[in-house]
Amino acid sequence: MSAAQIRFATLWRREVNRFMKIKKQTLGAPLLETFLYISVFGAALGSRVGDLHGIDYVVFVIPGLIMMSLSINSFTNNSSSILQQKFQGAIQDQLSSPASPLELLLAFTFGGFMRGLIVSGLTFVVASLLVDLPVDHILVLVPSLFLVGFFFSQLGVLIGVRAEQFDDVAFAQTFVLTPLIFLGGVFYSATLLPQPYQTLTHFNPIYYMINLVRYGFVGFSEVSIPLSLLALTAAAAAIFAVNLRLFTNGYKLRA
Amino acid sequence: MEALRGVSLEIAPGELFALLGPNGAGKSTLIHCATGLAQPTSGSIRIFGHDAIGDYGAARQAVGLAPQELNLDWFLTVEETLDYHAGYFGMPKRERRERTKELLETFSLTEKADERTRTLSGGMKRRLILARAMMHRPRLLILDEPTAGVDVELRLELWHYVQRINQEGTSILLTTHYLEEAEQLCDRIAFINDGRIVGEGTSTELAARYGVANLEDAYLALVGRNELSRSKIEVAAS
Repeated sequence: MSAAQIRFATLWRREVNRFMKIKKQTLGAPLLETFLYISVFGAALGSRVGDLHGIDYVVFVIPGLIMMSLSINSFTNNSSSILQQKFQGAIQDQLSSPASPLELLLAFTFGGFMRGLIVSGLTFVVASLLVDLPVDHILVLVPSLFLVGFFFSQLGVLIGVRAEQFDDVAFAQTFVLTPLIFLGGVFYSATLLPQPYQTLTHFNPIYYMINLVRYGFVGFSEVSIPLSLLALTAAAAAIFAVNLRLFTNGYKLRA
Repeated sequence: MEALRGVSLEIAPGELFALLGPNGAGKSTLIHCATGLAQPTSGSIRIFGHDAIGDYGAARQAVGLAPQELNLDWFLTVEETLDYHAGYFGMPKRERRERTKELLETFSLTEKADERTRTLSGGMKRRLILARAMMHRPRLLILDEPTAGVDVELRLELWHYVQRINQEGTSILLTTHYLEEAEQLCDRIAFINDGRIVGEGTSTELAARYGVANLEDAYLALVGRNELSRSKIEVAAS
């Protein structure tokens, strides 16, 4: 391995090691939460709802839950990790190393991405044991999951870098991210909503992400798949460019 | 706000150099500019010929920083702290393992290797920070108030270690508020005040420059507090 490869692998390993050391909180709790969602919305309410657009309700909901666990865990990991390290001053050890801004940014990004992937992967395994979950369009599903994970990892980095106190991270997650996810159609189809809520849902970017993942699993979508993929790619690239600029300028990282 | 103004400082290879000045004088800012923790708006810093901004990779590779704050990662063990630091500097696994073992022994931390850093005492944290700075074998070691708040035993232990690695060829930049520390250890001393280097030389040269008897009086003259000189304190009757 070259020095640059060792450097990047170590930066990334530190991120993974951090959440693996507190896995009851970082992996166990989100898994339990998702399992409870499946139980309540699938088993308890699902039998009353029947099906949506010809798909069994619990099967309709699970892709949204997988997308939700991927996004929230990717986001939370990075925002907390960066803020904690800033708070302790421990990030100075990485910032004063020869690592480039790009290496630092990618290491943080893929740390959160890995946590999101583990939780959503385990959610998929658990869901597959409970219900017959199809994977209809793997060529849409894989890039969609990658882009969603990457986007929310970047968003976590952005919030973590900007945050000055733990309240800032909690605010972003509780008052922005969670409502957008819940109102993006994880548990329902937007077509069932009355106006103007149906139209308003189309302004929620997470609605398109949920539809991409849902289409990958069950082959149903309420939006254009190519257009949504294109928009998500553009959004992920834009936030990556912003973060790279912040890391290069040392915004709220270097004095 | 301009934290540093027209600072010009040259440290020769193998030198043990002290930077003294009151709180807020610009010592830490200067160190942060050299190590990438602050970005200077103008000027240049060269570390063994490498520009600290344009060629930051090579410049930072040559520097080890033991900061004033105990900036350890609470999630990591003592051993991981050293291993990760070396990894950030591109050191291969086998070399990391050997170097970690060596430094754990040198700093009497072997028994604490598997403990998380937050469980260590203040003195042990200080030792670990110094070991971490040394981990990638830097040619320039920057010690920002390394003995602040440590007991006499550890302070002397650190002095011995600093002198030993300096004799082995490592250049050292030391900031401290303990003037006797600078006097005892360092070849040359610079005074920094209000973002400027206002005096540079041996302790004798600095005392002569301010027309006083010793380094401490020269420092007091620099900060305009001559009335605090020990020569003006009455010795208690025995």
